[in-house]
Amino acid sequence: MLSRVGERIFWLARYLERVENTSRLINVHTSLLMDLPQHRDINWYTLVTIFDAKNDYFDRYDRVNEYDIMHFLLADTSYGGSLVNALFSLRENARTSLDILPETLWEQVNELHLMVKGEMSSIGNRRRRQNLLLAITERCLGIWGIIANHMSRNFAYDFLLVGKYIERADMTSRILEMTSILVADKDSEISKQYEGILWGTLLRALSAQQMYIQHNSSTLKADKVLTFLITDTTFPRSLSFAVKALGNYLHYLPRAEAVLSMQETVLNKLQDYKAEEATLAMTHIEMDELQLSLSAINQAIAKNWFYPDYATA
Amino acid sequence: MKEMWQDYDPDGFFDELMYEKHQPRGFSYRLLDYLTSMDEEAFSQRINESEMEMLERGITFTVYSDAGNIDRAWPFDIIPRAIPKSEWQRTEKGLQQRIRALNQFIDDIYNEGAIVKDGLMPADVVYDSKGYRAYCQGMSPSHGVWANICGSDLVRDDTGKLYVLEDNLRVPSGVSYMLENRKTTKRVFPELFRLLDISPVDAYPEQLSRMLRSLRPDVSNPNMVLLTPGVYNSAYYEHAFLAQQAGLTLLEGADLLVGRDNYVYMKTIHGLERVDVIYRRIDDDFIDPEVFRPDSMLGVPGIMRAWRQGKVAIANAPGCGVADDKVIYAYVPAMIRYYLNEEPILDNVPTWLCREPEQLAHVLEHLPELVVKPANESGGYGMLVGPHASEEKVSEFRQLLKQNPNNYIAQPTLKLSVSPTCCDGGIAPRHVDLRPFILSGEDCYVTPGGLTRVALVEGSLVVNSSQGGGSKDTWIVDDLSFMEGQ
Repeated sequence: MLSRVGERIFWLARYLERVENTSRLINVHTSLLMDLPQHRDINWYTLVTIFDAKNDYFDRYDRVNEYDIMHFLLADTSYGGSLVNALFSLRENARTSLDILPETLWEQVNELHLMVKGEMSSIGNRRRRQNLLLAITERCLGIWGIIANHMSRNFAYDFLLVGKYIERADMTSRILEMTSILVADKDSEISKQYEGILWGTLLRALSAQQMYIQHNSSTLKADKVLTFLITDTTFPRSLSFAVKALGNYLHYLPRAEAVLSMQETVLNKLQDYKAEEATLAMTHIEMDELQLSLSAINQAIAKNWFYPDYATA
Repeated sequence: MKEMWQDYDPDGFFDELMYEKHQPRGFSYRLLDYLTSMDEEAFSQRINESEMEMLERGITFTVYSDAGNIDRAWPFDIIPRAIPKSEWQRTEKGLQQRIRALNQFIDDIYNEGAIVKDGLMPADVVYDSKGYRAYCQGMSPSHGVWANICGSDLVRDDTGKLYVLEDNLRVPSGVSYMLENRKTTKRVFPELFRLLDISPVDAYPEQLSRMLRSLRPDVSNPNMVLLTPGVYNSAYYEHAFLAQQAGLTLLEGADLLVGRDNYVYMKTIHGLERVDVIYRRIDDDFIDPEVFRPDSMLGVPGIMRAWRQGKVAIANAPGCGVADDKVIYAYVPAMIRYYLNEEPILDNVPTWLCREPEQLAHVLEHLPELVVKPANESGGYGMLVGPHASEEKVSEFRQLLKQNPNNYIAQPTLKLSVSPTCCDGGIAPRHVDLRPFILSGEDCYVTPGGLTRVALVEGSLVVNSSQGGGSKDTWIVDDLSFMEGQ
């Protein structure tokens, strides 16, 4: 497989996962805000913080309101992290990998693009926006379905899954980081009043509510939720599962030893997580560190397979 | 839909589907019967379906003009163009004969140059041609074949006679649209394929792969790639499509390098991997900055060296564009007689060579009636269509012809055939041509039919997609059973 193709496929998967997670996150956050109108600390701006986009936002907008923030995160072509830009990159990477991906995959990506293009102007309307985000999430899952069912287990498949799990771990850690900050102070008013709602929202943002309840009965307590989302290796959206799966697919790639040892270190650290009183308050710092490690793994992948020094024959 | 066809009138042009108004040809009778019996609403619904299908499958081509680069949906006309099988069998033989002669010609001029020595062609026509590459002297690729993939343009005049208008031997494009058009027609008019016996076209990718493999008889399982100028090329969709269908690795110049052993390698996740056959979709001008254009960013330094040493096969072979020259075109019938000792089965469009003084005089005298073409341009650029040109344009060409007669040929303005086409407000006759694709390696394969291009603008003769042309599915319909019955 060409190095350049590997790189495109890897990023295709990252963008696909990003589009799906962003849509779900914004959808769930909107429903949270319906429960907590006018709250001082939880508002539309929280989303900007999750995406680490403070500066980008204030470069473009003066005020903080639902309309501007939704436009920024979903439709703003000048902001690299917006949903339309992720979709554009997804489509470009699919278009330029037509030769090795299933034909139906390209058709689905293209249809997703046409749908979003047609509906983007209506995101000011909350109901239509929610419907659009739901539809995007479903279509992304459909595309993963094509990948799972129409592709041979070859290197293209491995790079897709490597990209998917890096992106998933990164997104999950960002969402966990934000929620952890909000409830870090156990005596704060938010913690007392809304802890249950917040953890419930977090679980829904990760499609994790049902599986969490099956594992832990229905109590929504910080230690239980964090332990589940950080250490569980059976639920596909928990951090340990994602990082473990990352290792499974890296393992199939040639000369993977160095990258694998980085992945192992990260996995061990996640497995060692203990949700005790003292560490609970530090979770957001751990999540921050995790994001740095993932970024280092990303760089190692690029160095190892996409831009190595070719020894000329 | 009877009303829509009521007024349809080929108006003196040869019509692909009709003898004249209300008179379908034998082999197109069932097709037209089916279309006229369909109600108008159902028909326009099928048109919508075909447009959606093309859009959703992302079948586009890029136009570099308007406001930036735009991916446009491929303009497809839903009404197929049909050709009787009895006629096609002869055409197919004619195309095979022609490509055999052209390949022998290219092999000859890069080796002995017998055709020039024997006085059949002037030396300057061959060796001063823009497509001639002195670097290729002394080479002889596998099977003596240089033009492995050829897309010839065929047209009819008002008597229905078929002519070869051009031989596109450099990097002919359009075959993926031929395949996509068929796929769309099958989805939109599935019933028709039960009523008529239509030759399938899907074999092309497999034939392409087989032809490319035959270029390296010395390697048991050659590593084959398709070299594209990149994702911004207007034919990129086709490059990706063909690579995928024929199982070639799609790559760009930057993915390749030539090693110290003069083999070509591609950069993979395992390290370097040897490449044996390259189907190149970039002009030979750009293929190797060490030999041709030094400013080329698309090519691979050293690749010509690898090719000359037989360490990689390149299709089409560098230098084969010499036979794509419009002046050299005029000599193709002579080549067929010279190399094959046969009479041409397919004719050239009558052509005046402006380098011959008497012929030039004739051309200058009749300029407003003629089509004038420069030797080495494609895509319909740089030419004069006399009857449709302004007086200034005609006098501009008069000057050009006098200054540089050797660079031009002239042809009569053909009354190109028409075929029923959906237009705003109904069905109308529009001019068409036909581009079959011919693969030559160890064997020779001709696509059944090819890509029919249609000039969508009323009265226009320009079928190029970059200039407002569209395309149609092309059917080779078995008429032999009808003929036997008669």
